[in-house]
Amino acid sequence: MSKDPGSDDRGKFDKARRNFLRGLGMGTAAAAAQPAWGGDTLSDTFADFFQKHYQRMTSEEITETLERIERKAESRYGVEISCENTPPQPGVVFGYAINISRCKGYRDCVDACVQENNLGRDSQVQYIRVLQMDKGDSNLEHSEHYYDPETVPVEGKYYLPVQCMQCDDPPCVKACPVDATWMEPDGIVVVDYDWCIGCRYCMTACPYWARHFNWTTPEIPAEEMNTDTHFLGNRPRPRGVVEKCHFCIQRTRKGRQPACMEACPTGARIFGNLLDPDSEIRYVLQNKQVFRLKEDLGTEPKFWYFSD
Amino acid sequence: MSPRWNATFSTTTRHSLEAGTTVEVPSWAAIARLLVSCLLISAIFSARADELPESPQDSRFEGYPNAPEIRVVPRKDDLFFYPCNQCHEAIQPNAEIRPLSAPHDSELTHGRGLIWCLSCHDVANRDNLRTLLNEQVDFDDAHLVCAGCHANRHKDWTFGVHGKRVDNWTGERTQFSCTHCHDPHKPAIAPRAPQPPPPVRTGLELTPGSEHVNEPAWARPEVNQE
Repeated sequence: MSKDPGSDDRGKFDKARRNFLRGLGMGTAAAAAQPAWGGDTLSDTFADFFQKHYQRMTSEEITETLERIERKAESRYGVEISCENTPPQPGVVFGYAINISRCKGYRDCVDACVQENNLGRDSQVQYIRVLQMDKGDSNLEHSEHYYDPETVPVEGKYYLPVQCMQCDDPPCVKACPVDATWMEPDGIVVVDYDWCIGCRYCMTACPYWARHFNWTTPEIPAEEMNTDTHFLGNRPRPRGVVEKCHFCIQRTRKGRQPACMEACPTGARIFGNLLDPDSEIRYVLQNKQVFRLKEDLGTEPKFWYFSD
Repeated sequence: MSPRWNATFSTTTRHSLEAGTTVEVPSWAAIARLLVSCLLISAIFSARADELPESPQDSRFEGYPNAPEIRVVPRKDDLFFYPCNQCHEAIQPNAEIRPLSAPHDSELTHGRGLIWCLSCHDVANRDNLRTLLNEQVDFDDAHLVCAGCHANRHKDWTFGVHGKRVDNWTGERTQFSCTHCHDPHKPAIAPRAPQPPPPVRTGLELTPGSEHVNEPAWARPEVNQE
């Protein structure tokens, strides 16, 4: 008996229909097992939708938003986090300097940054890049991003860590069509992840490759989650928004060092208040031969390099 | 001071010119003035010598001008053999330069053979270090010993530009000492493995031959395009 070609198609269709119905049933079961609206309550979902821009929220609205972020993080990652809104310290503008004769290219800063800032382990986002350069060459286009020798430093190479320069005249802020990114009074350029529409104009405007886009929802194992977060810093980010280095705003506003500086075993990284004449960063600027990357673009980075 | 010298010089010159000879015949008055000025100069120099410190104790390092106050992380508790006098009290000091036996490392790469144990360790009291001026220095203040030769680095360290500050960027400065990072007997830091490289972003994978992109076009090897 010859098989009717139509019946095979019919069988395929039946199978697909069965799978669809089964999926529908399981979806209903899942919805019954946990609250609707993707694990959030209806009121949280509505509040998310009507959440205002960070700078236009009243203090009560900010408190409510922070509590909501904590609730959502618990349902999404199963971790109890604390999201804070530490204000900038008065009379402080942060600056950073890196001693490139000290940097040995260990990439400990990158590792610490990923851990501290809850960067997605799968999403290929890293705020810091350590560039391996030939000695005597300062052309960034000749840099090696993916170096992986047995041991570093390699003979004849030097290492140039690059991250957000926290420009004083930031081109990314000018490019944003919805004002989702701005410079805080302490000089840190921050992003309101809930206001960002993901257009990525800021990424094109940035001359330092410092902004990164979340193509997927950042996946972080619950045990590796940093529970000490800040609204403008390392709180859990949604998919489809841009994020960047924020000088560890959750740490530095409380007087602690950025995670990259704390992790650096060589002491190449120097961080401090540019307005304090006794700070280490001011000593560097006054006593060392410093330079900035792509200074000719006039973006006034608050990030210096020097060697001694 | 200088007018007196000028006057003396010009007097003798004029005299020799008037005499029309090359032999200088200074007047007695000029010689007297010369003597007086020599006495004056020696008096001034001897006065300055009195002001200079005589004993090393007076020249003890008191920090750089405008240097911030720092607290140094203590290190004595981390030292395995400390206090050294546990053994050394019973051992006769031997100042002869020789390779040491166990438990001490026989190799000393620091100073390329120009220094030896007792350049930094005090011979009389092994629980102390010594500076080049033979001052006694506690092990927790080892940076004062390092400063004897590495003054530039020490100054940078004092101002927080070399070395590592602990935990905070503001408030009390606590810094690790030199010997936390540098083994004083082998100060060079050995190379080590880096953390893994970043993932290659989609679309940015290396193409064949791209590792030669930094070389000039004529030096790149031919890549098979098929």
